[in-house]
Amino acid sequence: MNEPMLGGMIQTELDRSTPFLRSGNLNCGGCGMSNILQLLGHAIAEREVKLVIPACCGAITAGNYPQSTFDVPMILTTFASAASVATGIASVARLNNEDTRVICLAGDGGTYDIGLATLSAAAERDENILYICYDNEIYGNTGGQRSSATPAGASTMSTPKGKKEIKKDIVAIMAAHRIPYAATVSLAHADDGLRKMRKALDTSGFRFLHILSPCPTGWKSEPAMGIELVRLAVRSGLFPVYEVFHGDRYVINVEPDFSDEALGMYLSLQRRFRKSGMTEATLRPEIDRYWHGLRSLSGRIVPARRFME
Amino acid sequence: MEKRRAEGVHAEEDSAAGLHGTIQMPLEIRVHGRGGQGGVTCAKLIAAVYARTGLYVQTFGDYGAERSGAPVRAFTRVDHLPIKNRNKVYHPDHLLVLDSGLLGPLVLEGVSSGSVLLVNSTDSAESLADQFPSFKLGVIDATAIAREHGIGTSAVVIINTTIVGSYARMLDLPMAAVEYVYSSLGLSDDLAAAHEAYDSVVILPVRQPGGKGNPIAPVQVPIPPVLPQTEHCLDIPTTLQTGTWSSQTPSYQEYEAPCNRACPAGNDVVGFIQALKNDGPEAAAEVLLKTQPLPSVCGRVCPAPCMTECNRKFLDGAVNIRSLERWISGRAQVQLEKKQPLLKKDFAVVGSGPAGLSAAYHLTLEGHRVVVYEKMAMAGGVLRYGIPRYRLPDDMLHRDLDRIIALGVTFRYNHPLDRAGLLKLHDEYDGVIVCKGFGDAYAIGVAGEDLGGVEQGLDYLAGSKESIRQLGGTVLVVGGGNTAIDCARSALRSGASSVKLIYRRSREEMPAIAEEVEEACREGVQVLTWRQPVGFVGNKTVCGVVLAEVDPGPPGKDGRRTPVITDRTFELDCNTVLLALGQDRKLNLLPDSWRIEEARAWEEENPLNVWFAGDCRTGDGTVAHAIGHGRMTAYSALADIDTSPAAGYAEKVYKSVVAPAHIRFSHFPVIPPHSDRHRSVSSYQNNFEEVNLGLSGQEEAERCFSCGRCTFCDTCLVYCPDGVIYRTETGYRIDEAYCKGCGICVVECPRRAMEMHEK
Amino acid sequence: MPVELISANQAAALSATLAGRANRTGRGFCSGVYPITPATECMEYLCAQEIEKSRVVRVESEHSAMGVCIGGAATGARTFTTTSSNGLAYMAENCITAASLRLPVVMVVANRTMGPPWNIWADHGDSLMMRDSGWIQFYCADNQEVFDTVLCAFRLAEDPQVLTPFMICMDGFTLSHTIAQTKVPEQKEVDRFLPPTSIPHQLGRIPHALGQIELSSQVAAHRAQHHNALLGAEKVYKTVQDSFEQIFNRRPAEPVVAYRLEDAETVIISMGTIGATAEQAVDKLRQQGVKAGSLRVRMFRPFPADRLRSLLRGKMFVAVIDRDISLGFGGILWGELRGLAEPGAVVQNYIAGIGGGDVRPGHIRDIVAELKHRSVSAAPVIMEELL
Repeated sequence: MNEPMLGGMIQTELDRSTPFLRSGNLNCGGCGMSNILQLLGHAIAEREVKLVIPACCGAITAGNYPQSTFDVPMILTTFASAASVATGIASVARLNNEDTRVICLAGDGGTYDIGLATLSAAAERDENILYICYDNEIYGNTGGQRSSATPAGASTMSTPKGKKEIKKDIVAIMAAHRIPYAATVSLAHADDGLRKMRKALDTSGFRFLHILSPCPTGWKSEPAMGIELVRLAVRSGLFPVYEVFHGDRYVINVEPDFSDEALGMYLSLQRRFRKSGMTEATLRPEIDRYWHGLRSLSGRIVPARRFME
Repeated sequence: MEKRRAEGVHAEEDSAAGLHGTIQMPLEIRVHGRGGQGGVTCAKLIAAVYARTGLYVQTFGDYGAERSGAPVRAFTRVDHLPIKNRNKVYHPDHLLVLDSGLLGPLVLEGVSSGSVLLVNSTDSAESLADQFPSFKLGVIDATAIAREHGIGTSAVVIINTTIVGSYARMLDLPMAAVEYVYSSLGLSDDLAAAHEAYDSVVILPVRQPGGKGNPIAPVQVPIPPVLPQTEHCLDIPTTLQTGTWSSQTPSYQEYEAPCNRACPAGNDVVGFIQALKNDGPEAAAEVLLKTQPLPSVCGRVCPAPCMTECNRKFLDGAVNIRSLERWISGRAQVQLEKKQPLLKKDFAVVGSGPAGLSAAYHLTLEGHRVVVYEKMAMAGGVLRYGIPRYRLPDDMLHRDLDRIIALGVTFRYNHPLDRAGLLKLHDEYDGVIVCKGFGDAYAIGVAGEDLGGVEQGLDYLAGSKESIRQLGGTVLVVGGGNTAIDCARSALRSGASSVKLIYRRSREEMPAIAEEVEEACREGVQVLTWRQPVGFVGNKTVCGVVLAEVDPGPPGKDGRRTPVITDRTFELDCNTVLLALGQDRKLNLLPDSWRIEEARAWEEENPLNVWFAGDCRTGDGTVAHAIGHGRMTAYSALADIDTSPAAGYAEKVYKSVVAPAHIRFSHFPVIPPHSDRHRSVSSYQNNFEEVNLGLSGQEEAERCFSCGRCTFCDTCLVYCPDGVIYRTETGYRIDEAYCKGCGICVVECPRRAMEMHEK
Repeated sequence: MPVELISANQAAALSATLAGRANRTGRGFCSGVYPITPATECMEYLCAQEIEKSRVVRVESEHSAMGVCIGGAATGARTFTTTSSNGLAYMAENCITAASLRLPVVMVVANRTMGPPWNIWADHGDSLMMRDSGWIQFYCADNQEVFDTVLCAFRLAEDPQVLTPFMICMDGFTLSHTIAQTKVPEQKEVDRFLPPTSIPHQLGRIPHALGQIELSSQVAAHRAQHHNALLGAEKVYKTVQDSFEQIFNRRPAEPVVAYRLEDAETVIISMGTIGATAEQAVDKLRQQGVKAGSLRVRMFRPFPADRLRSLLRGKMFVAVIDRDISLGFGGILWGELRGLAEPGAVVQNYIAGIGGGDVRPGHIRDIVAELKHRSVSAAPVIMEELL
């Protein structure tokens, strides 16, 4: 993170004149999704937007009828319907030559699990939709059960001893649809994130952003440490920050240091990894394996880990 | 009424009998808390405790979409008979409020006088009793207890298990039942907190009894007609004020930077570097000159403890602060405005070394008249006579001196002072500040010390400032301070074929500026450590030295290991020996009846308006220390003389210093320090031109973390999840009506310019 | 007016096409479609049409088909889809969403037995499953009725006083695949009948949300408003009929179609194609001297209780034929109707044609004969074998 790049991003003439996510919303303090919405608002600026949110914490964010928490017109849908409802909205917008960005904001449950078929179909049809998955790696709205985005070793209300299976690779799935743009976004790299959001907003066709979204309630972590946790996940290589164009051109945006220090810190700052005894050593091979694949996809002839112990 | 016992429970038999008699059944309990505090579990724990005593219970939460921090309710019913009522509790007999911030009409709705009210609060029980005289009141700071026991997170402390202890005490419930319930629910870790809450709850009786049956009226919330969905197409903003959810709140707070704390001169290092970065050298000089009369000098010769302490050294190397000071000194023509005091005073300052100049400068800045008495023909003291030109060119010294003279300080040269002279000054002036520097140089005290060619380094340095004195052959310098290095490098420039520096400890322990030692070595000075001369050999003039090896002994008072001279010796040829062993602090000026206390002269019980500053008082031995002490002495003198409030001068006091752990290194890109440029010459012979050329630009200022001081970098703004931070004319404003107190802004602040505090 | 020889599936799709095209001056036509027997043909026909300012999205599931309609309607488009049986069940939660958000989606359901065990023939169990979801439900008996009802559905659903989704039900195969003459109006006539869609609460530029969380009191209020809108739809339907008649010179069928009822002593009540068969049976019974009449319930939701009560006044023998069964209870239509008959009347339930069995005139005459022997109502009779 380069501090001068952060400056001038918000509350300037480039920003929207009113906050995208309004004060008085029902999100927990330190919610990563709130952070995403703030950043997204700065990226949207004065672009016209319609927002689609399926069942997830974001549905609560919208607040009580008839008050508006979002500064744009929005619709709340059933769990598996974000991409299909957005298809309808995007279609009508196109029929009427409206320059509207239709944005789906869905959790990992609505993306990786119940909404995957809908999402896949919309991506295959290359609908003109920006789909943002805020991934808190848990069914947060129901109190914290495992999803297929939950990482191995994390305890949830439905895997009290820790989940055994590794996290689904959603970006690979989306890239396999050959959509124009898919990217992962790190909240700890706000400048990179803002750039990708703007890029995604202004690309036509189906765009997918995967954002790791800290959940202090579900991760059993300090609310204040959310951004730092993302930073540690990026540094350690656990959360790769990259973008994929048309399913074949891979660009890695942030080089991790692959340090066990960062990985250990990431684990120890969350109580969800305690019971399974997940350690740096148990996680490292999978991270290396993933990066090996990513390196070959990105066409860079460098070792998966730049800094070997 | 038939009293039955709920089946399937193993009652705490002994206590149950008493309990059933004292508490009126059926019993209704309502718990008010915030999402995350554990209100629902609290109600469940209470129910479980009653169940353990053999009663029928029912407990449930008021579930909604509430998030962490939002107000929530939970209910418990207790009876001798099976409970059929399935509604929420509207008229509670016991009311538990887990957050005193919630205490309001909505919480108290339906409660009758005489009811039990248990509040988690930091307020005193008395003040709450004044508010709620008609209740049996229990007050406990459960948050503090739970936090101490590490239950929950710092933003959301979970207090349910704690406050149940206080409830048990208020209702005389057996702790055995509480212990049973906690262990059966896997909460045994929290028992200690419950016991502490049991012991420390303050219980006050009902003060204003009122008849039962006049509950607090429900709050009439007007229910607006529900707009049909088919007509809802208006923008209706939110009204919920989430600021009430939080127990802590962030604010902007300035902390002391380690460089500022380390600067002996008291310079605002962060201040001048940030001013340089943002507004250029003139603005930086405005800041710097407030404390620093000699930036051209310190920017060259200061050992820069600020750089030793700089937090950036843990990332990619300390900021080159000294050279930034030099950069500013060479690029700003700033003269500070003098103040206009109510009473102008006359001061005499004895000595024009750095301490004297600093005292004179600051007194003049404060608007007073100052005359400096200097024994030599020119001002500067050690700066002029002790520091070689290749480190401090004369014109650089004059630049600083000219600024001080232009400010209006009067100098009397060739004016040495004795006891009578000091007494005279004491009589003539409102105040006298004596800054005469060190006394005599220490002798070495070994055989052959008085041979020709063995001399004090300071004398040699002073002499070579007048005209270059040629030395020949091998020159031996004894000592490890800056004087020793200056001697060695000057000797190298004055014809010596070889220069050896003898020091009795390790190179790392040398008091000299590390870069100077490096420079000396680079120029060809040989450093011999763990050696000590034990005798000089020669006939009239010295031709050799006997060196003993030194072993590191046990640590002394200062923590350094005491040198132990061994009998392992060897001899070394030499032609000149320069001693640089330090100086004493003898004043030789005080009349016999005077004594010094707290840097001030006293005659019997009377304080005199004579103060002592700089090396003659502290012996710190650096220009920066002398400047700092000169300034502080000047201000304490002013405070002593002029007791009017306007004369007060307050140093800024900080809560604490910014440690490396407070800096978010990940927010900064790695940029190696910008090093000084050096003149490269083939030979230093007879060349006293300045070697160090300083920085080539001011980019180095960009590297300053600005520890503890907001730079308006917007990081807090960018990362606030709720967007409640707003830019203002002077900085930032946090909208407390909506801030949920998550603390991300404080954690993300790259430089510890924010802090979190309890509401 | 040209007459086309088309199936009811095609009639439905053609009607939707004309309606969709009529909104070319509005915000267009948007449809999400997914194949399922026996509604597939309707979907295919629609996909073959060229409709100005329209998009027919070939989605991956019925669930998404309704999702697309919700999105389209929420931004002001005219929306249509078609499904059947398990497809409707898969779509169910989004059907409820469309209703609760008061979006005027029009859907043709080709009634088919729920499976597995798999069976593709007519049964009202699928659409009646959605009885309480807040949709208007009409059951049709012939091709023209399907065509006309689809056109009327757009007009009624989009009426500002109604604004609820509309389900047109037709018996699978029995009607959906049966080809018959159908009068098809010109586009300009349809344009006159169907003004551009106007959904007052659609998402425009003003920030507001559809489908937010609501307090219990708000849910109750919205349910009451929705309920009243449905109840009022019966009256609005009359104005739709009037307008239809004015433009197309024929009157669409009544909510309840009464046949030779005036002097009837025995009344056969049914929905869908069985109603047509019943009319034929009535004619035969009249020839045999039996004073029989038929009531065909076209509008099932809102339930025309008052209309039925008055039609049943003085009728002492009522046979309710259900092509559905609420297991553990009996026929669904019977359950709703029996309280509306004359006190003391025999209201006997016959469950016939479930799983797609053919209900022939003879079966109906048998029912009438059986009913005459009863003096009181008994438990529903399930006609397992229709021979």
